[in-house]
Amino acid sequence: MSGTDIVLQDVRKVYYKDRLEIPVLEGLDLRVDAGDFVALMGPSGSGKSTLLHLIGGLDRPTSGQVRVGQAELHRMSERQLTAWRSRHVGFIFQMYHLVPVLTAAQNVELPLLLFRMPARQRRQRVQVALDVVGLGDRMDHRPNQLSGGQEQRVAIARAIVTDPDVILADEPTGDLDAATSSEILDLLRLLNSEFGKTIVMVTHDPRAAARSRRTLHLDKGVLDREELHAATPTGAGA
Amino acid sequence: MTVTYVLMQNLRRNPLRSALTCLAFALPMAVFVAALSFVVALRDMAQANEKQLRLAVHHKTSIINLLPEGMRRRIEALDPQRQRLTAVCGMRWFGGRVPGTPNTLTSLAADADTFPAVYAEVGLTPAEIEAWQRDRRAAVVGRGPAEQHGWKVGGRAVLESTVPPYLSLEFTIIRILDDPQRANVFYFRRDYMDEALREAGWDADKVNIFWVKCVSAEALRSLQQDIDALFADTPDETKSEDENAFIANFTQAAGDIPGLMKAMAVVVVFIIALVAGNTMMMSFRERTRELAVFKAIGFQSWRIFGIVLGESLLLAMAGSLLGIVPAALVLALAPARGMNVGPINALEVSPAAVAGSLIIAAAVGAAAGLWPAVQGLRLRTVDALRIPG
Repeated sequence: MSGTDIVLQDVRKVYYKDRLEIPVLEGLDLRVDAGDFVALMGPSGSGKSTLLHLIGGLDRPTSGQVRVGQAELHRMSERQLTAWRSRHVGFIFQMYHLVPVLTAAQNVELPLLLFRMPARQRRQRVQVALDVVGLGDRMDHRPNQLSGGQEQRVAIARAIVTDPDVILADEPTGDLDAATSSEILDLLRLLNSEFGKTIVMVTHDPRAAARSRRTLHLDKGVLDREELHAATPTGAGA
Repeated sequence: MTVTYVLMQNLRRNPLRSALTCLAFALPMAVFVAALSFVVALRDMAQANEKQLRLAVHHKTSIINLLPEGMRRRIEALDPQRQRLTAVCGMRWFGGRVPGTPNTLTSLAADADTFPAVYAEVGLTPAEIEAWQRDRRAAVVGRGPAEQHGWKVGGRAVLESTVPPYLSLEFTIIRILDDPQRANVFYFRRDYMDEALREAGWDADKVNIFWVKCVSAEALRSLQQDIDALFADTPDETKSEDENAFIANFTQAAGDIPGLMKAMAVVVVFIIALVAGNTMMMSFRERTRELAVFKAIGFQSWRIFGIVLGESLLLAMAGSLLGIVPAALVLALAPARGMNVGPINALEVSPAAVAGSLIIAAAVGAAAGLWPAVQGLRLRTVDALRIPG
C-alpha cells in the first residue's frame, strides 16, 4: 500500500434497531488507489453512505479492516478518528451545511481553527481555497447571498482548505440543476487531476458518476460490479 | 476568527429569539440585582450597626407609644460611673417632608446634648458639634434630599410634619452626610420640636425611643436586662433590643422583606432557567446537522460541548448585563431617594450584588445549556447527518 491508498478488507457493518440486526455491508473488499476518482452508486440501502462514512472515519466497521494511507481506522478511538479526519479528509455534503451567520471566508476558515496557525497564514489559505473554486471575489458574502452552486463551491473550498489527501462527497450535485452540477463535477475533476486528490463520491446520477474514473456499483452490501470511464473533458456537461 | 467569534455570530442566527431570550434574562436580572442589593445593604447595615453597640429602648407595646423623657435620667442612673454606657439619646419621629413633595424623610428629633456621642459614627467635627449645640434649628441631613432640594451647609430648609399637629419647622443645615445608609435622614434637635409642640398645645417632652450607647457587647446585654427590669410593671414598660434586632423587627413589621426578596429571587432564577433551557434546546435541535458537520471536519466532542455550553453562557451573561447595568446606573445616578424602603434609605447596586447576580446568571446559563451540551457531546455524527432537513 502506498501514499493514501484506501483499502477495505472483509468489512462488515451491522446496525441494530430495536434489537433487530440490520446488515448493511457484508464482507466488502475495496481498494482505491491514491489519486483515483471513484463514484459509488447503488439503490437506496445498498450501503453507499455507510461505506463513505467508514472511509472517512465517521463510523467504525463491525468487523474487518479499513486502512487509509498508514492509518488503521478500525483500530482508532473516536477521539483519534476525529483528529485524523481534521488532517486527512475533506467532506462535501449534498446540502452544503454552511454556517449561515458566517461569511464564505469564515466558513472556509472553520476547519483551520483546529490548527495552530497564524491568522495571516489562515487568511492566505482561505483565499487560495476560494480562488481554486472560483469564488475569490465572494469572500464576504454570506450563504444566503450565494446561489446553490456557489454554496457548494464554498463547501468544497472548506473541504480542501486543510489540503487533505482524500475528499469524500456525498451526493454533491443532488440539490443542483444540471448546469451547476456540471460545474461542480468539473471542479472535482480539477481537484483530482490537477491537485492529485483522491475522491470518493456517492451519487444516484449516472451522468455524474460518468465524470469519475470508475464507478463501483453496490447492491445489498456487496460490490456488484465496476465500470471504468474514459476520461471526459471538463465542461462536457452532466 | 476564533471559536468565540463563531459563538457570538451564532446569536445572530435568529436575532428575534436571541433578543427575546436576552430580555428574558435582562428584566428579571434587573429585579434580581435590586433585590440582592437590598439584602446586601441590610447585611452591611447590620454589620455596621453591630459595631455601634447601641441599645434601642422603646415601649413594650409599640414604638408608636411615647415614653416620658424623664426615663432617660433613670436609665443613666443605672450606671452612674459610666462603666457600661456612654450616653443616652432620646429620639422622636417627626415624619417631615419638604412642602409640596410626596415623600417623607427619615426625620428624627434627637437630644441635643447626647446626639453627637451616641451617633459618633456620623462624624460631626468639633465645629459642627458646636454649631449643633448653639443653634436650636441645626439639622444634619443626608445627601439625597440635600441634592434633591439644593440644600447647602449654612442654608435653610423647611419640613412640614405629616402627623398631627402638622408642624412646619425651619432649619439651618450644619452638615450634609455622605453615608449612603443615611442618605435620606434628617436629624434635628428635639428641644426645638418640643417648643413647637408646646406652642401647638400638643404633648411634648416625650420620645419614641431611647438609644443607649454602650461600651461593650457584654454591657449592652446586661443593660438590656436591667432597663427592662427597671420599667417592668409600670405604665411605660419597655422592650430593649440591640440595633440589629430593632431594625429587623421594624422592617418585618411590613412583612419579612428580606425573606420576600430572597423568595422572589429564587422564583426569578427558576423562571429564567426554564426559558433559557427551552431556548437552548430548540437552538440545539435546529443545528444538530450543522454540529455534526463540525464533528465531521474534525471538531472533537468536547469542543462541541463547549460551543453549545458557551452559547448558553454568552446569552445568559449578555442578557444579565443588559439588565444589571441599567439597573445599577438608575440606582447609582438616582439612589432611591425618598423611597424610605424599610431601613434602607439609599438603595444602590453594590459590587457584591452585581458579582452575585453574574454568578447566578452564569450558573443559570450553564444549567440551561448543560443538557443540550451533553447531547452535543454524545452526538453521533453519522446519525445526525442522516436527520432530514
